[in-house]
Amino acid sequence: MLIFSVFKTLTDQQVTVELKNDLSITGVLKSVDQFLNIRLDNITVLDEARHPHMMAVKNCFIRGSVVRYVQLPAEHVDTQLLEDATRREAQNQIKR
Amino acid sequence: MSSLQGYVDRRVLVILQDGRAIVGVMAGFDQKSNVVLSDSKERVYSMEEGVEEIPLGLYLVKGDMIILIGELDETVDQAVDLASIRAEPILPIRY
Amino acid sequence: MDPSSSGIQEPFDLIRLSLSERVFVKLRGDREMTGILHVRALKHMMGHMNLILSDVEETIMIVNEGEQATVSVAKRKMGMLFVRGDGVILVSPPSRTQ
Repeated sequence: MLIFSVFKTLTDQQVTVELKNDLSITGVLKSVDQFLNIRLDNITVLDEARHPHMMAVKNCFIRGSVVRYVQLPAEHVDTQLLEDATRREAQNQIKR
Repeated sequence: MSSLQGYVDRRVLVILQDGRAIVGVMAGFDQKSNVVLSDSKERVYSMEEGVEEIPLGLYLVKGDMIILIGELDETVDQAVDLASIRAEPILPIRY
Repeated sequence: MDPSSSGIQEPFDLIRLSLSERVFVKLRGDREMTGILHVRALKHMMGHMNLILSDVEETIMIVNEGEQATVSVAKRKMGMLFVRGDGVILVSPPSRTQ
């Protein structure tokens, strides 16, 4: 659930989503759900000359399971907070 | 996939696991994200010739097959001369 | 409440998280990367290990098939990256990367 929370804090930030078919789509993150399905606004596709298929697409919904990576805006990610949360999650799992 | 609501009655591009690209008007969807498209066409891309559009009419796409749904800007889409576009098809998803 | 239930019982498990350290990650599709580890979702709902890394250098091995198959290598850097867990084969701590 931690990752889901991270994505929620990045709403309205620009991200680049790379899919498992090598397509990279940059856009403004509008929403994310528990499956990490992603809604992007105002999108552009990397290397549009080779990938003209989405030229006229203005916003899109991406299925979470086909995402390989998401490049995040580093300045909006509090790494200390995330590491503390990861330790807490790990601790909870050990206790169980 | 609750957030498909905003796409109903809009002209959309649907990209499938195997790389196929289908455009149509989203007539409806269900909780398994199965999607019904009306007035739909498959767009077939190749490097040898322009984009070929194959009419599919009213078309049901299984939710598991869908990797991306994009809302088309119709003015931009209509301004594109499909016959002049040369591009490789979108690659299939490789897990 | 059992007093021993508070605090860390298995400190080595936490050390092995390798947080704030540069780790080596092997991925599907002939990819690997190193990066500073910030988030490691141990048990995602599908059993995946989702990661967030910074200062990432990715290496992609591209096999050119032919008479004599050759392998070329592409590298790229990324600042802050979420890696979906289903692509992760292994995460190894810095001590084992050399």
